[in-house]
Parts: sequence; structure tokens; C-alpha cells
Amino acid sequence: MRLLIRQLWDKFFTGSAVVSILLMVLALVLILGPMLVRGGSAVFFRGTVEFRKMQLALYNRGDVDEITTESAEVEKSRQVIFDTLNHFRRGIETEHLIKRARKFYRDYGDQLRQQNTPSEQYTLLRSQAKKIRNKLCDAYESENKNQVLENLDFVIQQQDNSDFKGTLLEELFVLAQKYKKVVQSIDLTRREQYAQSLNEVQEILRQLFGPLPGEPTPSLALFQYGATRWDLAQKYLHRLLWKEEWIQIAPDKPLVRRELERKTLFAGTELESIFDEVQNNLPVMLQPHPTFYWQYFIDDHPPGYYFGGVGPEIIGTLLITLISMLVAIPLGIISAAYLIECAGENIIVRVIRTCINTLAGVPSIVFGLFGLAFFVLYVLPRFHMASKECILTASLTLALLVLPVIIRASEEAIRSVPRTYKEASLALGAGRFRTFVTVTLPAAAPGILTGIILSVSRAAGETAPILFTGAVAFAEVPRSLLQQTPALSIGSYVIATSDNVGMNLPHKQYGMVMTLIVLILCLNIFAIWIRSRTSKKLHGY
Amino acid sequence: MTLLSTNNPVPKAKAAEFTRPLLLTPSEDWKGYLSNAAGRIFLFMVTFLSVIAVLLIFIFIIREATEFLTGNNLKEFFTSVGWYPTHDPPEFGILAIMAGTGYVTIVALIIAVPLGILAAVYLSDIAPFKLRQVVKPIIEILAAIPSVAYGFFAVLVFSPWLEVNLDFIKGTNALNAGIILALMALPTIISVAEDSLSAVGREIREAAYGLGSTRAETLIKVVIPEAHSGIIAAVILGMMRAIGETMVVLMAAGMSSQIPSPWWDLADGVRPMTATIAQEMGETPKGSLHYQALFAIGFFLLVFTFGLNMLSEHFLARVRKRKRG
Repeated sequence: MRLLIRQLWDKFFTGSAVVSILLMVLALVLILGPMLVRGGSAVFFRGTVEFRKMQLALYNRGDVDEITTESAEVEKSRQVIFDTLNHFRRGIETEHLIKRARKFYRDYGDQLRQQNTPSEQYTLLRSQAKKIRNKLCDAYESENKNQVLENLDFVIQQQDNSDFKGTLLEELFVLAQKYKKVVQSIDLTRREQYAQSLNEVQEILRQLFGPLPGEPTPSLALFQYGATRWDLAQKYLHRLLWKEEWIQIAPDKPLVRRELERKTLFAGTELESIFDEVQNNLPVMLQPHPTFYWQYFIDDHPPGYYFGGVGPEIIGTLLITLISMLVAIPLGIISAAYLIECAGENIIVRVIRTCINTLAGVPSIVFGLFGLAFFVLYVLPRFHMASKECILTASLTLALLVLPVIIRASEEAIRSVPRTYKEASLALGAGRFRTFVTVTLPAAAPGILTGIILSVSRAAGETAPILFTGAVAFAEVPRSLLQQTPALSIGSYVIATSDNVGMNLPHKQYGMVMTLIVLILCLNIFAIWIRSRTSKKLHGY
Repeated sequence: MTLLSTNNPVPKAKAAEFTRPLLLTPSEDWKGYLSNAAGRIFLFMVTFLSVIAVLLIFIFIIREATEFLTGNNLKEFFTSVGWYPTHDPPEFGILAIMAGTGYVTIVALIIAVPLGILAAVYLSDIAPFKLRQVVKPIIEILAAIPSVAYGFFAVLVFSPWLEVNLDFIKGTNALNAGIILALMALPTIISVAEDSLSAVGREIREAAYGLGSTRAETLIKVVIPEAHSGIIAAVILGMMRAIGETMVVLMAAGMSSQIPSPWWDLADGVRPMTATIAQEMGETPKGSLHYQALFAIGFFLLVFTFGLNMLSEHFLARVRKRKRG
């Protein structure tokens, strides 16, 4: 019995150890998976015709003729919807119709004057015309269907009046006839409600297809194009078909979200048909094609991240990392060489080692504080430069951060070079310096390189030290080392906490962090590969 | 052998080249001597830069914080819960902020220490060699993922998941940050603990097995107690990682400077020290009292991690001694 318990306990222990490893692997997959997959959709997605139009206009990419013919075709298929919309709008938005009626009336008066009509006849015709106009305007303004039809019929009867033949007043009759058709299909008492819903529908259609025909081109690039991606288009389509409402079911309870089919708001009107039309023909209207948008990694983005990519962020990150490495690598390798080759075991070397370990343990935010207090506020003014956060200060701060990493890795690499290599070289008469440079260093190079690559990935991913020493979320591509720069890490932080981007453009959020992770994963896998190769070489198989 | 020596007699003229002594005195080879000394001094100076860097960090953090620390805010600093730097008059109480750091660190350690030790045991004693070669890079990648990516995950993936599936009112809270910090501390704990477990000699294990103990008994009763100093160092290093981490707590801890009430309510938001500095440093004018107070927080953070570092050094030195035998 006791043996059984012991064995079970043994099995349980081994099992939980295995589970702990599995949990870790699972965590890695769960963390990296969603970010890489959703981030990948910033690069691989189904781009619509709007995307290709945007690329052509903003970056001058793509075939002009192809895109023009394509957008012409697309516009033809969209025209049905816009026609229905316009027709319906005529019934709802009567204000501009009233304005038009008044204008025709005024013009008619001018026409009469130009024809030198005798004053008596002029007064008569004008008063008649005024009556017609007022009836028409009343018809436009009224919500009572019978009254409207009565008024319109009165106007249309006047058509036969020979006095008005061939004058501008005939336009009024045309308007009346059009309106009569419209009135027969809608419920006039719900006009206000229709107008509001119609505005919503128009807004969503603008998001889907860009500015409606006849509207002036908006100045912001954001509003110039419709849904550039098929997933966005699907989202807008859902918004078009379903109206979101927050309803209070019972007092004291939080509001409940409910989705209402928007079609029912327009039941019985001609607009009802466009919902099915859009739903069924959306692929024709937007022409989604699988797109590989590799330019995401080089494109600039307008403020708000709506279009474009992460080009400036990548350049900024690479610049900061490169400069910090230029400082840290020589210092790190020389320090490691000294510690291994020259230093014995005395108190000073012990202090140095303790300091290196301390440096490795300083929290990254304290590095940021130090960079601000020392490089930005103390060193820069001493060199008669503006005391401003810039790439240089950020890089120097990061260099300090990765210095202990490089020292430790290089030490490890130099120490693992077999003693026999060195002894052979010394026996051949080479001095210590020559031995180190020509024998030990080349043999240790892969190990040192591994350490360097790992510290590059560390430097590229750090956020806290550069938070207030030179990196900012929004900046142009830097032209000198004394400017601030955008960086992937800060960009990821800012974009993750920005609700607006999250609501509308999740792919841009994930795209930024995906770029950072891919960059760092590549560096790490490269480092691991180099190390496994060298360890094989050192083991001799 | 004889054939060789008769056919190729050693030329007598060559022997004359070695008449000079192999080791020259400084006066005979002053150039070489000087260049050697200069090289050593140069190397030493470069290496000494690390010491200078540490000194500079301490000096400049203290320099900026000193005005605050010598003023009469110090009592309030350690006794007050309220952190209202922009009120009039401002209040700088660090207690709630320190409690925030404490909460997330403790949550992280509660999760990471058992998991980390088990994983280290698995890697050092249970896993076959081939599997170890696969698992180690995975741990390295876990360590290499930038903290901002962890924070991103915590805010945009994990926090909504908590809200939807576990009915948390607010997904960014002490629990969320603690779990993510545990993941970040795991690689450190695993690698240090595994080193110290491997340093325990084979003979001790074999003796235990020879006495008839199972693997679990060997590990729990013999190997782990034997490697305790390394494991303590691992826990301390993991704790340092959790205390010093900025981006995750800035994004996922909820940013409300309060002590959770009731005290065990991890669903409350907290605001650790690092997050406070990162959040407010960008907005405060340089040289103001608020700015100095933030540096004072940084100073305590520095002192705290320095102390922990010394402690871990002490334990690691014992491991190293054992390795040498």
C-alpha cells in the first residue's frame, strides 16, 4: 500500500512537471498566435477596389488604366443604389425642393419682365404662378397625404393652362408630377424618422463606397475612400443591415444592447430594396481580391493610422538600435576580453563584476529616468546643444541597458574557446594580443555574435528607457540624430491604448505589434541557429 | 628516427638565434613593455566604464530626488495613501503605489515559482536530451518577447477574455498584470534554477536512487534542498524582473492608485511604482516637485532592486562555489 502511494506520488510529480512545460508552451502559442494572425491581416487581406484607388492616389502604385476601368464598372453596379437613394431622398428632404420651386417662380417673373409683358397681364400671371407655387410648397411641407395629393392635383391641372406653355413654370409641373409618384409610396407622417434613418444609411454607404456621387471630395484622405478591406466592408455591411440600439428593459437595470433589422425601418418604401441589393452584390460593388500589401513595412501613415504602414517606426527602431549597438558592442567585447584575459581575482575586478550585475538588474524605467537626467538634461547642454530628447540620447540609454548582456555573452563565448587553441598559438610564438585577436576572438565569434543578436532584439523591444529620452508616437522620419523619432515599441503602446483605432482599425493595432514581434523572433531564431551550429562544431560532430 | 636524423641534421647556425633570453626585462624591451602596459590600462579603463555607469546612475537619480527627499514631504511620502500630484496642495503618498507593486509581484511569484521550479526540474532531471534541445529555445523566445507585446496581449486579448468569460467588471486589474508578469518571470526562474539543479552532483542523486527512493523523493528530499541557494537566487531574480517591469503594469494593471479593498480583491486595479513613473514623467514640468517625487520613486526602486541583486549575488556565489567543488 505504501509503495503504491509512493509510486502514485512519483507519477504525479513527473506529470505535473510535464504539465508545467506544456502550460508554458501553450502560453507562448496563446500569446503569439492571436497577435501574429491578426497582425498578419495588416499585410495579407482582401483589398477592395477602394484600396487600389487609394494606393494609386496616395502612393502612385498600380496600373492606371486597369483601375479606371475597374472603378467605372464598379460605379455602374453601385448606380442602382444611388438612384434609389436619390429618389427616396427627394420624398424626404423637401427643403431643397421648396427652394427649387421658389427659384423657378422667381425666374419665371424675370422671364415675363424680359418679354415686356404688359403690366396688367404681368400681375395676373404672377399671382396665378404664385398660387401654383404656394400650393406646391404646401404639398411639400404637409404631412397629410390627402391634402398633399389635392394640392398636387391642383398644380398638375394648371398644366393645361395655355398661358404657361413653353415658360419656365412648366418645371414646376414636372416637380409636382415627380413628387406625386414619390408620395404614393411613402408614409408622410414618418418623414422625420425617415430623414434621420436616411442620414444614417447615407453615412454607412459613405463608409462603404466613399463619398456619394455629386458630393464634393472631402479634404481628409480618410473620407475620400470607402472600405479598403473586405473585412471592414463586412463590418460596415453588418452595420448597414442591423441598427444597434440600447434599450432599457426595466428601471434600475443597465441598458441592454439589441440589434434591429434596418430594413424594417423602411418597410413598404422603395428604399427597402437597397439592403438586399447591397448584401447580394457587395462583392461586385467592391471587387475584393487577395492582396499582399508588403509595402506595409515601408509606407508612412497619415495621423490616425487609417492608411499606410509602419515605415517610419521601423526606420526609427533600426536607427536607435544601430547606434546603441555601435556604442555597446566595442565596449562590451573589450570589457569581456579584459575580464577573461587580463584580470585576476582581486578586489577591483570583484567590484567591476558586481557593478555589471547591478547594471543588469536596474529596472528599465530607471534607465529611462537616468537617460533623462543625465544625457538629456546634463550632457547635451554641456556640449552646447539644445537640451531636448533625441535619437542620440535614446540610443546611449539603450547602450547602457544592453552593455551587461553583451559583456556576459562575450565572456561566456571567450571562456568556452578550448584552452588548447590558445596554447598552440602561444607556443608558436605569438604574443598575447596577437593570440587573442587572431585565435581566441575568431573562435569565440559565433558565441559573441549570438549575444549581440540577442541584445539587438532586447534593445529593439524596450519601451520604458526610450519613453522619455527620444522616442515619440507621432513624428516624421528623422533627418538627424538630434531629432525625435517614432519607434515600433512606443507605437505599439500608444496604438494599443487608443480606443479609436481599436474600434475601427484593429488590423492596424495588431499590425504594429506583429511587426515588432516578427522582427524580434527572426533575430532570436537566427541567434539560436548560429548557436546550435557552433555548439556542434565545438563538440566536433 | 635514425634515418631522419642522419638525412636532416639540425643546422647548427639556427641554434644561434636563441641566444637571447626568452623573457626580456623592461629595460631591454621598453617598447613592448610600455605598449603592453598601455594596452592593459586601456582595457581596464573601458571595463571600468561599467562601474562609472552604475555610479552615474546612482548619482543622477539621487541628485534629482534629493530636494524632495530632504524637504518636509518625506513623512507624508511614507505614511500617506493618497497620490495627488496635481492637486493644490499636492499630496505625495507612496503607500498605495508600493502596495500596487507588492500586489502584482506577489501574484506573479505565486504563479511563477511553482511552475518555474517544476519546469526546471523537468528540464534538468526528467526530459530526454532531444526534448531539452526543443524546450530551451521555446523558453528563450518567451524571454525575448518584448514587454510591450506582453502588455499589448494583456490589454487587447486577455482583458476582454477575462471580462467575457470570467465576469470581471474590469479586465485590466492586479490579477491580469500578475499573470502576465508571471509569464515574464518564468524564463529567468527556470534558467537559474535549472543551472543550480544541474550543479548538484550525480553522485548525490545516485546515492538516493541506490537507497531505493523514487524520482519524486530523490528530487524533493535530496536534490532540491541541496540546490536551495540557487533556487532562492532564481526566485529573487524573478521577483526583480516583476518589480522592475514597466510596460505590462502600465497597460494591464488598471492604473488606479489605491489599495484594493477588501485586501484580497485582485479584480481591483492597482498602480505600481514603475507604471506611475512611466505615466506621469512625460507630462510633468522638469524640476517641479512632482518631477522630483517621481525621481524619488525611481530612487527607491533602484535601491530595492540593488539590494535584491546583492542578495541573489550572495546565493549565486554559493552555487558557483559548489560547482567548483
